[in-house]
Formats: sequence, structure tokens, C-alpha cells
Amino acid sequence: MSDSLGTGEQHAPAELLEIPAGARPPLSRTVSNTLRPGAHSEFLLQAKKNTILKSHGRPPWYDEDGHSVGDAFVIGIAGGSASGKTHVARRIVQSLGSIPTVVILSQDSFYRRHSPEDLELAFANRYDFDHPDAIDMPLFASCLADLKAGRQSNIPIYSFTEHQRLDETKYLYGASIIIVEGILALHDPALRKLYDLKASSSQAHNYHTRRISRDTKERGRSVDGILEQYLRFVKPAYDNFVQPTSRFANIIVPGSDNTVAIELIATHVRRKIEDRSRYLRKSLARIGPRDLSPGDIKDQHFPNLTVLPQTRQLQGIFTILRDRTTTREDFIFFTDRLSTFLSEKALEYLPCAKKDVTTPVGATYAGKQLAVDHVCGVSILRSGGPLERGLRRVIQDIRMGSMLIQSEDKTGEPLLLHLMLPCCIRERHRAEKSFVFLLDAQIGTGAAAFMAIRVLLDHGVPQENIIFVTIIVAACGGVRVLQRAFPKVRIICGAIDPVLRESWALWDTLPSPEPADGDVRSPTAKTKAEAEAEGRKVWVVEPGMGHIGDRYYL
Amino acid sequence: MVVSNSPTSQSTPASLPPSVFTLPQTAQLEALFTIIRDKETSRGDFLFYSDRIIRLLVEEGLNHLPVIPKTVTTPTGATYEGVGFEGKICGVSILRAGEAMEAGLREVCRSVRIGKILIQRDEETAQAKLFYAKLPQDIAQRYVLLLDPMLATGGSAIKAVEVLKEHGVPEDRIIFINLIASPEGLKNFCGKYPLTRVITGWIDQCLNEKAYIIPGLGDFGERRYCV
Repeated sequence: MSDSLGTGEQHAPAELLEIPAGARPPLSRTVSNTLRPGAHSEFLLQAKKNTILKSHGRPPWYDEDGHSVGDAFVIGIAGGSASGKTHVARRIVQSLGSIPTVVILSQDSFYRRHSPEDLELAFANRYDFDHPDAIDMPLFASCLADLKAGRQSNIPIYSFTEHQRLDETKYLYGASIIIVEGILALHDPALRKLYDLKASSSQAHNYHTRRISRDTKERGRSVDGILEQYLRFVKPAYDNFVQPTSRFANIIVPGSDNTVAIELIATHVRRKIEDRSRYLRKSLARIGPRDLSPGDIKDQHFPNLTVLPQTRQLQGIFTILRDRTTTREDFIFFTDRLSTFLSEKALEYLPCAKKDVTTPVGATYAGKQLAVDHVCGVSILRSGGPLERGLRRVIQDIRMGSMLIQSEDKTGEPLLLHLMLPCCIRERHRAEKSFVFLLDAQIGTGAAAFMAIRVLLDHGVPQENIIFVTIIVAACGGVRVLQRAFPKVRIICGAIDPVLRESWALWDTLPSPEPADGDVRSPTAKTKAEAEAEGRKVWVVEPGMGHIGDRYYL
Repeated sequence: MVVSNSPTSQSTPASLPPSVFTLPQTAQLEALFTIIRDKETSRGDFLFYSDRIIRLLVEEGLNHLPVIPKTVTTPTGATYEGVGFEGKICGVSILRAGEAMEAGLREVCRSVRIGKILIQRDEETAQAKLFYAKLPQDIAQRYVLLLDPMLATGGSAIKAVEVLKEHGVPEDRIIFINLIASPEGLKNFCGKYPLTRVITGWIDQCLNEKAYIIPGLGDFGERRYCV
């Protein structure tokens, strides 16, 4: 029992790090108003340092065809016990500056589940934790392979106090850089194949002091026990298994005074990541709406796009929702009514199987029942929210996940800021059998929808099980790109609007002809000059309904 | 663009009167009916799933109301040529089962006025007899959504329309909404009032000798309120 230096955690660490708030650039979504004017300058000053990857969210990791571009960059760090591997990992993260997401994966998470006999030895300090057999290498490699390929992974949690693997697991997804650290990180050939960069840290001179102080303070061991364990297991393991693997390393990092080595690694990783993102930029620049001539979707063939039948009531509801003089109360009521109807329509696409029932009058009815294993909703915040009530009215206890996707100001690139998925999607074998209602108020450029669908596909949800529920689709916008990249994803909408145009984010300041109760306008109204100064251009769907999230919530 | 049309077991009678409209007969709708028909279904599920059907029925019924052209300006300054709702409406439920449809009606038409009619069988004459009616005062100027979940023989629905006509509501301004109809009931009702539109969720096989709809779902009011 030896590793995981200085983490101060009882459970093996496998955490998703986020870049501190100070480094975050300003953000905006299609037509959102998330920032108050004047709050920008200090962000920009700090964002400058982060020359290329200046986001704190996850930028696109796929090309315009929806295929993932490149795996995560994986660094493996091996080295003797308490030689400073975690320290090295953290220094690398630090010197990388602003990068989307990093995972530090520790070998300690992958200790095998112990038998009662092993457990007895472990509590007597007589179990050899430093032997390769103590580690569940196949599981380690398969988790790492999943993460590297951009899939979700549920890694085990090992408790040092109980000397046992716990029943719960830790869900991880979406790292662009993975740092694997452990004394035997370079031991297993399957693992070695997954690394893009292999490093080995050499023992620091104050090694014994650090080890004793850590194990007594954090793990409640006695000095005698530590020394005994050292002589019995740690030293032989180092000589037999750890030290020999250093020949696989691309770079040896000294345990102390390692600034130069860390800088070398960080520079290498940065360059790799930059190359990748430059390629993506180029590819995604072609994604945006190209043909902006007012379109009529009837001319095109979209086999998986369903529009609600344009009945009188539906037209009447849309007239109310589009009207800028509509009160907030009416807007909410009719949005809920529309979303209920949309959800009913969406449910028609769930598969049904035959079922016979007996009615209270004793007759047999040959009917049908839903034939699905898991159903859940995922709303793209904030505008997907207005569709949630409708979905709950048709499936009362439906599990609801959420994603927050915003566009970065300067590039217009979508960023995944937050992801909370229902349990049935977190586990791949269940995700493969899940049906997901993806909710967003409209599809304009389609950038957020594109990213959201990609997230679900990464988790193993089949395309044909994704049902995108939305109020308005812009005929000339991203819907074409979506349907080309994901031809089996079904889209259900209430209306198709002809125009998608770029404009300064000021449209909600148009003078209200009838300021009914003074609360109808959005409180974030701006002048044209202010909007231009902020440099915020947004895509507007027309005739549209204005900003649906603002009108529903603000 | 696809309008979903999943095949179902529904067999529409060959000679459906022109004033009868059914919901789109999807597998999804059939699954909803399967739940509420099942005698093992709990009361909570019966409430929830019958409400879902009722909402769809009310939405369909409202589509038969007239609209007028209306042009509005959107928040982005664009113009939209839409439609506005025309005419006032009210609901009238036939006690006691019809009341079960009121919640669904109000979810779609906020704060709509609702009148109530109690009609029962006169044991002496075996005819439907009006026992009680409380209707909005200006009902003659309104479109009326008449609510009764089951159309079996059509006796009480016919009586209810008679009462509404006495209150000055023209026959063609009444929309009768029910979940399940029998072919016999539709024939009786539409024979008597050909101008009243009937919106129904499902047309069942027949009536049995006790005038229960087969396969039906039993007594709707009983299951909704009591069981």
C-alpha cells in the first residue's frame, strides 16, 4: 500500500478538473443575454494569455459530418512510490494554462476486489499492493480506452480505509487530455499502447520523509508498519517492476527541480492540441449556415423531420406566441400547451408491442403497450426548459438530464459547459437501449443541437433512439447539416420558419407598441451601440418568437 | 416531412357519419387506451392516462372552431400573418362522468366557463330525463364543448343537446367530445343531430345486452372517482 502521493483523499482520485473562473472568456448563445454590459474587460485581459484554447467549456470534438476527430491525448506517468507522480501531473495541468477538460486517472482506482483472505493480509500490512497482480489491468485498460476514444467510463472507486473496491463507480466523460499516474502505469503493454506520451518520474531525495509523513497523517499508519511494508514489498516491487519500465518512457522527470521537464511536456501537449483544434476550426467553419436565402423546407427531402399538422388551433397558438405584445402569463400558458402537444407527437415514435387486456366488463381487448427499456429527457439549457413541462405531462416521472451549451463570443464556436445525464445514459449498456427526448426551443444554426446529439452518440445511444423535440426549425439553418450528419435522428417541430439572419444582439429593444404592464420587455435591453461595442452577433430566426428562454423565464 | 401513421387494430365502420371525427389512430393512442381499458390498472394511472387522451380530444375539438386572419409583429420586428381565435366558448359536462374531463379542458383552455347538466334514466318511462342544469347565462352566444366520456346508446347526449338547444345554442355550435363511442350510439346521435360534430377517441365494436360498450372500459365515472 504505497501510492497516490499527497492527495489527502481517502478515495482514489479521478477527478474532472475545471479551469478557474478567472480564465473564462465571455460567452453567448444564439440569442441569449447572459452577461451584463461592462463585465467583459477583465475577462478579456485574462483570456489573452490563453491564446488558442481560451475556453473553459469543451469546444467541438467532431467534424461537420459529426464524426469524432482524434482521440484524447493520453500521458502515462510511472515512477517509484512517492516519487511525485501526482505532483508532476498537477504541474502539467497548471502549466498547460486554459484547456477544456483534463482527467487525472490514478492507478489506485483499479486495485482488484479483494477476497476475505487478502483483506486480512491487507489489514495486517502484509498484502503486496505493489505487485502488478494487485491491479485490475484489463479493467484499467478498457476504462482508459473508452475515455481516450471519447466514450463515457464508469471507473471503480477504491477505499484505502476499507482496503476494498466500493460498489459505486465514478462516471467520467469528455476529457481532452488524460493523465494516468501510478507506479505500474508503464508496466502493462495494453496500457502502454494507449499512451501518446510516456513519462517516468525519478525518486526525490526526501522520499522517505514524505512517505512516512503522508502515510501516518492521511492513512493512519504507524511508522513501524510503514517501514516494514517498505522493506517487504515496496522496495522489491520497485526493483522488479517499476524501475525496469522506465526504459519505456519518452521522458524522465526528476522528482524535484523539474520545471524544465514539465515545461517540455506542456509545450508538446499544447502543440498537439492546437493542431487538432486548428483542423476542427477549419472543418467547423463549413458547418455554419451557408445558404441563407429564405428557404421552404417543403422543397427538400427530410425524411426524419416531422412538423405538427398546421391546424387552426396550432396556427392560433403560434400567432399568440410570436406576437411581441403577448403577456408573459399567456406566453407561458401557450408554450406549455404547445409543448404538451409536441410531446404527445414525439411519443408516437416510441416502439409499441402487442398486449391483451381484460376490461371491467369482461371483454378482451387486443391492445398495445410501450416496448422500451429506458426513456429519458435531456434538455439543452436554457431554452429547452420551456419544453420540460409538456414532456412531464405525458410521462409523469421521466428522468430529465440537462446540458448547457453556449457559443463563444469571438468564434461563435459552441462550448459544452455543463452536462448532467440520467443514469440510464451514463452506463453504456443501458444507453444503447435508451430512448432520449432531446429538448431545445429552436434549431437555428443547429450548433447546440449538433453538439448535444454528439454527446448522446458518444454515450452509445443509437441515432434512431434520439427524438429531438423543438418549437421552431429555421428552414435555411443548421437543420440540413444535422440531417446530413445524423440522418436517423428524428426531429419533431411545431413550425418551420423561412429566415435565419445574423444581427447585433439588440433586437429586444424595439419599442413596444403597448407596454402593457411594464414587465413585458426583457430587462437586458441594449442599444445598438452597446451591442456593437460588446461585439456580440447573434443568429435570429424569423419570423420566430423572439428569445424563447427570455420570454418564458425573465 | 412525415406525418406519422402507425397501423392500429382500429376498424372504422364503413358508414361513419360525416360529422364524426376520430383522433389519429396511432399505436401510441392505442397504448393509452390499452392502459385505461385494463381492469388491473390503478386509479392513479387511470387518471393520468385518461387525462392525456382527454387533452388530445379537446385539442382536436377546438380545431373545429373558426379563426380569423390576424397579423402580428414578432419581438425581432418581423411580421407574421397568423390567425386569431374567434368566438367565445364554454364547456358543458354531463354529470357525473363528464366532470372528469373538465381538468383536461382547463389545461388547454385556461379558466373556461363550465356548465353542468345532470341527466338520469327515468325508471318509469326508461327515457333519459333532465334532473338539473346550470349553464352560463350567455350560452346562446358561445360555442359549446359538450363533455361525456362514453357514448353508449346516446340517450343522455341526445337529451343534453336538446337542453342546450332549448337554451338557444344552435346545433352546429355544439361539439360533443367523448373517449369511446359505440357504433350504435354514433348512429342514434348523428341521426338526430347531423350538424353537431362528434369528436371521439376510439370507436368500439358494439353494445352488449346491458348497453355496455364492448370492449369498453367499464364505468368511467366509477373508475375515475370511486374504485
